[in-house]
Amino acid sequence: MISLTSPVETWAHGWRAGAKLGALCIATMGLFALDSVAGQGAAFAVMLALYAAPGAVFFRSGIVRLRILWPFLLVILLWHLVTATPAQGAVIALRLVTAVGLANLVTMTTRLSDMIGVVRWLAAPLRRIGIQTRALELGIALVIRFTPMLAAKGAALSRAWRARSPRRPGWRIVLPFTLIAIDDAEHVAEALKARGGV
Amino acid sequence: MERNIALIALFAALIAALGIIPAVMLPFGVPITAQSLGVMLCGTVLGARRGTLAVLLFMLLVCLGLPLLSGGKGGLGVIVGPTGGFFLAFPLAALVAGLITERWRAAPLALSAGVAAATGGVVLYIFGIIGMALVLDKTVAQATLLVTAFIPGDAIKAVIAGLATSALYRARPRAVLSRA
Amino acid sequence: MAQPLALSNVSLALEGRAILHGITLNGDQRRIGIVGRNGSGKSTLARVIAGLQAPDEGEVRLFGVDVAKDRKAAIRTVGILFQNPDHQIIFPTVDEEIAFGLTQLGQSKSEAAAGVRAILEEFGKAHWAGAAVHPLSQGQKQLLCLMAILAMRPRLIVLDEPLAGLDIPTRMQLMRYLDGVNAHLLHISHDPATLAGYDRVIWVAEGRIAGDGAARDVLAEFAADMERLGGMDDISDLAG
Repeated sequence: MISLTSPVETWAHGWRAGAKLGALCIATMGLFALDSVAGQGAAFAVMLALYAAPGAVFFRSGIVRLRILWPFLLVILLWHLVTATPAQGAVIALRLVTAVGLANLVTMTTRLSDMIGVVRWLAAPLRRIGIQTRALELGIALVIRFTPMLAAKGAALSRAWRARSPRRPGWRIVLPFTLIAIDDAEHVAEALKARGGV
Repeated sequence: MERNIALIALFAALIAALGIIPAVMLPFGVPITAQSLGVMLCGTVLGARRGTLAVLLFMLLVCLGLPLLSGGKGGLGVIVGPTGGFFLAFPLAALVAGLITERWRAAPLALSAGVAAATGGVVLYIFGIIGMALVLDKTVAQATLLVTAFIPGDAIKAVIAGLATSALYRARPRAVLSRA
Repeated sequence: MAQPLALSNVSLALEGRAILHGITLNGDQRRIGIVGRNGSGKSTLARVIAGLQAPDEGEVRLFGVDVAKDRKAAIRTVGILFQNPDHQIIFPTVDEEIAFGLTQLGQSKSEAAAGVRAILEEFGKAHWAGAAVHPLSQGQKQLLCLMAILAMRPRLIVLDEPLAGLDIPTRMQLMRYLDGVNAHLLHISHDPATLAGYDRVIWVAEGRIAGDGAARDVLAEFAADMERLGGMDDISDLAG
């Protein structure tokens, strides 16, 4: 399964995932505490510089991921033009883009295996008090394994639908799709049991 | 135990897959992704405890950086974005939907699961609207206005969740753990 | 030494339908085949022999191990290869899939990693290390399942039609891998040709043993009966 980690190797790929997540937390809290246009503008510029540092390819793929915010930016723009509060609008818009941008940055520069390492580290205290975290690790692996497979079966299902219907698959396809997931789960349970269970 | 883990993981994968397959056409031609429907089904089919765990597992993988939200979205940006409140309320919605389906056994399953999904949807909107109000710095009333366009679609999804749950119960009674 | 395969009076009903009726079976042959039509109960029999499904009555012992009750000993004794590899593979990468069974046997992470390397090299598939499962072909997935089971060194492997649905070259290649396996094989199939060279063949029909003996005799009888049934129309009969 393809994760959102950038294939462009940056210096930040080597940093400790836990440190990056901690820094992100502090930066986000700072952004929500900051109320001046100049401050938010500076933070926005720093965010853009961080995206630009690893090169054009990284910068472009980062900006593409921020594009999903445009409907909200449009709403903010219109709203604050109408209410004649442009400074407040600028703070909100800049903060939104910077906060999402920084969070995406951590995702883009942290490998899935490092992220799972953080989960394992966070779960360590649970293990010490005797809670089994093996089920959690198994669960993560199963979702990564079965999401593409279920998506492929869903696509096959809608092909089978369209082969006999002039219309696009309707909501009724949700039922057989869920049945596939349930039946797969029964098979997985059996496969787990065949090799010693949990 | 094996069966619990497998069902929880496969329903987490189901939520993801429902976001990947193209938007499902609802009656009246409203195109929506079926992802939040997947969250409701976790509650109404797997029950409160396992349903919530499935949703949490799904969310964990989104936060780890997998593009599992509809439209290939994922990563930590989702939480701080304008729709972060909806995302964070997913497990609570599944919990509420699961509790209602488990407890309200007097009614036919289609009805109790439908009401359960609708109530879960209300929970989703409460948190979603609060989140949007915070991120966009608007009042709750103003934020509510921004999401009203999506309410009809989600109401229909609740009906579908109810019908799908009762149909699943007929097809695989053993798997509908909320009634097991 | 305890008998490799010992079923005594095994009966089983699933969801109210009787599937197996008092099956008693003993064997020490290295290659045993089981033939039968779809729905004859042979797949259920495979699950019972692998210990995945406890029988309602009777007992299954492989090399003396009660596989339904003593699961810990069972995974050292018996492995099962399902018809559809996607029903078997649990993990997203080749290494994790093979290592899982080894850690289940109590091996440490590094021991399991060494075991993964060893089995991949044994099959000349060292370059598969770290590969993702999803893009593998059906035949490659089936081979991965076989390696994952062999890595655990079971004494008996149950094959539940793993060759069905594969193209002829892939089937022949997998057959070659299977023929080289040291463990005892119990191969379930509806295709007589697959079992032609086996030491013994058992024919299962309607949850009972309908024939048992040398491969050539049983398969000839089975094939003749299938020809006879092919001229009829029992496809129209509903179960129940």
